[in-house]
Amino acid sequence: MHANTEQPLPRQEQPILRVRDLHAQYRTSPFGVGRGVKAVDGVSFAVRRGEVYGLAGESSSGKTTLIKSIAGAIRPPLEIVGGSVEFAFLPGYGGLQRAPRADVARIRWRNLSYIMQGSMSVLNPVRRVGSAFVDFAYPHIGGSRKQFERQVIAHLERVRLDASVLAAFPHELSGGMRQRATLALATICRPDFIIADEPTTALDVVVQKEVLGMMRGIQRETGSSVLFVTHDMGVHAHVTDRLAIMYAGRLVEEAATARIFRKPLHPYTRHLISSLPRIGDDAPREGLGGSPPNLADPPSGCRFHPRCPLATEICRREVPAMLEADDGHRVACFAVDQGGRA
Amino acid sequence: MAMLLRDLLRHSTEFRIGAVLVAFVLLLSVLASFSPYAPESVYVVPPDLPPSLVYWFGTTSRGQDVFWQLSFAIRNTLMFGCTVALVSRLIALVVGLVSGYKGGWIDRALMSVNDSFIVIPLLPILVLFYFMMRDRISWLMLALIMACFGWAYDARLIRSVVMSLKAREFTQTGLFSGMSTWEVLTEEHLPYVMPVVFSTTMNNMVWSIGLEVTLAVLGFTDINTPTIGGMIYWANQHTAMVAGIWWWIAFPTVTVIMAFIGLFLLAVSANAYIDPRSRLWGIGGAS
Repeated sequence: MHANTEQPLPRQEQPILRVRDLHAQYRTSPFGVGRGVKAVDGVSFAVRRGEVYGLAGESSSGKTTLIKSIAGAIRPPLEIVGGSVEFAFLPGYGGLQRAPRADVARIRWRNLSYIMQGSMSVLNPVRRVGSAFVDFAYPHIGGSRKQFERQVIAHLERVRLDASVLAAFPHELSGGMRQRATLALATICRPDFIIADEPTTALDVVVQKEVLGMMRGIQRETGSSVLFVTHDMGVHAHVTDRLAIMYAGRLVEEAATARIFRKPLHPYTRHLISSLPRIGDDAPREGLGGSPPNLADPPSGCRFHPRCPLATEICRREVPAMLEADDGHRVACFAVDQGGRA
Repeated sequence: MAMLLRDLLRHSTEFRIGAVLVAFVLLLSVLASFSPYAPESVYVVPPDLPPSLVYWFGTTSRGQDVFWQLSFAIRNTLMFGCTVALVSRLIALVVGLVSGYKGGWIDRALMSVNDSFIVIPLLPILVLFYFMMRDRISWLMLALIMACFGWAYDARLIRSVVMSLKAREFTQTGLFSGMSTWEVLTEEHLPYVMPVVFSTTMNNMVWSIGLEVTLAVLGFTDINTPTIGGMIYWANQHTAMVAGIWWWIAFPTVTVIMAFIGLFLLAVSANAYIDPRSRLWGIGGAS
């Protein structure tokens, strides 16, 4: 489901976010010894208007660093050392970190909003839920307070919350309600682009499904694009249109979500997909040996090669490029290029 | 706030006792405005009379009515405590919030000043101030000096709370939505540290009043302004204990002890209210 298939306007065909060859690292210098942890290393992708773009990867694969770089939430020791992040609504700066502060303040929340990891605690425990809306969203909407309040209440109905939650403290709400209030807070300005970092990880699957459904509903209604980050492949299957797999700071595969699940190409993705349990299938799952590499000292060449069953000499020496293997299906693997199969 | 006070009054014995004691002391200090005598005037009543129906708390060797003198004294002493608490709370809040939130060299600079204030021995410094300024030292000046010495511990406390708040998502979200540092500190963090500030305020008042009494008894303050310590100073000057004028010392002492215990109990019960675990004990739950 892509908005651009319904409305073939030229504007709609341009991606809303384009990331080009992004390099980001954490620079630390304990006891005078400089060390760079390359958490994002040469990532390129584009997100289209009205699509939900998934980003999957295990812990410490650089997902959060990547979206921090995209959101411009960069503070030392994190720094961007190369590449660019281009938003369609903020052209010409090559990323938020290079744009003037006033421009960044203007587009935040209005064009770009961010549902943080651990979003259960986005609400200040000692302030009422309503004041979070006033603090975070009101400066971006303006108008009279009465009007704003009506708008908030109308928006809360979309996530099936009563107006009374505005007068409640966060601890008086259940986890699911808090999550829905957070979702409403992130979408109240009808932003063009929403970054969601593990928004539902803390919830049980039933509430998760409900919240994800609401999120999908709001996204369809407002035509927002979403960059959805989680390690939970089940959530990706449920929500995202396209999916990128990240491993050790690099993208290894990107395709339409259904396609990745049906026909994964990269050996890492194949192991990831085959590890998912299926109902009625009680065959033992095969684990992948080894563990994710230390990003302060990553392996040479393809970062997956120490754990890859198909690794050859070239994998140890050279970094595989992200090449289009099929229609819209990109993968970074020498074995796939040569038609190898596990 | 009104409901909170009602709940505390109803359910906390400490708060009830504290509130009664503080209310009594406050009432006494309010009465100063209705005194028939000016606070400085002496020999307005017959000297050295024991407590009676005419002179409730007796009279002093200087011909002053102890009751009215005491009401002036406790008013000045309480105002002194409030001024010190208010000014030092302001400094502690600003230093704690900025230092905890900003971090880096600002934090290091502020904390090195802060830690210096923590280790400075206070009483010798105050005596030194008195000997430097002598007659020019006024009530307000002493309060400001004490305020400058009374904020350091609490600034560290506030700093530690803010450091943890800084890492939480609501701060990050606020920043992301474009709130300025000032807005984040006043809108998001200040409400969080306010309970801490309230309970330290009362401790700070107890501390500053105690120190003022100490200085006044030793004669290291402006002795012409009646304070609790000042009254005891004059009583000692006239050897009240030896002469058997016990009421000159007993009533101010009892009053200031009531103020101490009252404020202490208020602080304790407010602390208990702030800490959710002790609220659980209150209703018979496990911790």
